[in-house]
Amino acid sequence: MLLSYNRLGGLGLALWAITILVCLFLLVPIIFIAALSFGSSQWLVFPPPAWTLRWYRDLAADPRWLDAALTSAKVGVLSAALAVALGLMASFALVRGRFPGRNLLKALFLTPMVLPVIVFAVAIYALFLRIGLNGTLVGFVLAHTVLAFPFAVIPIVNSLEGFDKSIEDAAVLCGASPLRAKLKITLPAIRIGLFSAAIFAFLISWDEVVVAIFMASPDLQTLPVRIWGALRQDLTPVIAAASTILVAFTLLVMAAAALLRRRISK
Amino acid sequence: MATDVSSPGWRWRGLGPAIPALALLALFFVIPVVSLLLRSVLEPQFGLQNYAELFATSTYARVFYNTFVVASLVTAVSLLLGYPVAWLLAIMPQRWANLVLAVILVSMWTNLLARTYAWMVLLQRTGVINTTLMKLGLISEPLALVKNLTGVTIGMTYIMLPFIILPLYASIRALDPTTLQAAALCGAGRWQAFRRVLLPLSAPGAAAGGLMVFVMSLGYFVTPALLGGTSHMMLAEMIAQLVQSLLNWGLGSAAAFLLLSVTLALYAVQIRFFGGMR
Repeated sequence: MLLSYNRLGGLGLALWAITILVCLFLLVPIIFIAALSFGSSQWLVFPPPAWTLRWYRDLAADPRWLDAALTSAKVGVLSAALAVALGLMASFALVRGRFPGRNLLKALFLTPMVLPVIVFAVAIYALFLRIGLNGTLVGFVLAHTVLAFPFAVIPIVNSLEGFDKSIEDAAVLCGASPLRAKLKITLPAIRIGLFSAAIFAFLISWDEVVVAIFMASPDLQTLPVRIWGALRQDLTPVIAAASTILVAFTLLVMAAAALLRRRISK
Repeated sequence: MATDVSSPGWRWRGLGPAIPALALLALFFVIPVVSLLLRSVLEPQFGLQNYAELFATSTYARVFYNTFVVASLVTAVSLLLGYPVAWLLAIMPQRWANLVLAVILVSMWTNLLARTYAWMVLLQRTGVINTTLMKLGLISEPLALVKNLTGVTIGMTYIMLPFIILPLYASIRALDPTTLQAAALCGAGRWQAFRRVLLPLSAPGAAAGGLMVFVMSLGYFVTPALLGGTSHMMLAEMIAQLVQSLLNWGLGSAAAFLLLSVTLALYAVQIRFFGGMR
């Protein structure tokens, strides 16, 4: 009874009420920020007395915000590329390798996902202080690649496990070199996994705050670091505008990814 | 590729392609984390003095206590709010379920700072919540909703809810509805069926989700740092301060090691009893 939707009766109403409230709780703050970013009130009065694009103009006029956005994009693309490349090779070892400690290796590959990010942030900060990589693009990319790596490995391993290796073997029997067979047969077959891996890895880097706060220098900041810095000073609507752009971009990437994935899988 | 049968380490067949990733993680993950942990017993000199200081100083003890309280509160509230949602989600018609799941995913993938900023604005003294309550005449003075325990709990629950709902949804969905029909046939009322059948059957999912949220909350940095007050500092913020402002690497590493060991211990419990992470 409790698990059949049509026989819940009054209980169903109560569950619906809570579900709707929770959905509102999850959505309203996001919509609220987007609305405020177009509101004219400096003090974030809601509902806004008038609508304006002023905060977006302020944002565009300040080269530091633009630089930060550019850095975020660069770090995101480079970390995603590196994470996917390494993740792809590692996945072949995880799925097809037969060596002692394979499960241990798998566990190691997933650890960056479960380790409290503050511990990793402080650790990599200490290392980069010593070797002079703090505040550099290389430092950002290396640190974000580590964090994004598990999110790249998981979808690739899953799709590689679902791929029938005998097809690749058949290509080799027909005279293709093992590498050529992988490039021409296996990679296209697991392209959805590769694609998901790239998207996830990019978004992990794009949204990452904690490590970036430690990595950043006044000259090199990602968008989240810039927002973090601004937030600690005041709650200006410019942050609402920056947040809205950040969120809109993430949603855009996800929507594009969903569309593309549908097209690829056809 | 170096995966031939004839290649030297036949025992290590197929490991080759993992080596670049292994090198990256060894150099930029394992070595830095391990050397950080070593600093906790090496600085300023060899010994356990950092741990002794952490436990003996009341300011630090207070931070541990705060961290534990916030993590417990957030887990409890998320479970209470998330359970009914996961339950309905598991049995509602698919198109509605897809809508609710979309809301949850959008929230999850919205930038953490953007979401925290939203709550800073909503909860501040002149924020919408206070002004609305005052207009309605429910309160005469603005409530202090931010820079304290209330603010952190609201902000963190907001972020953790999806991590409770999704695993719980999966575990309730996997239940067989006929077990509840059987309970009804045996004369169980709704309350009895819930308490004696549904709740125990969904407990593993709830425990797994709850444990995950608890562990994640223990090490959270951004939201407590922005929504919590200075008197409610949590562990992650303390580690950052010790290292970045006070340059006390020994003490900071000791605190990091405590956080790490509690986290790994709780994950071990999770893997042992609930068969790994979903």
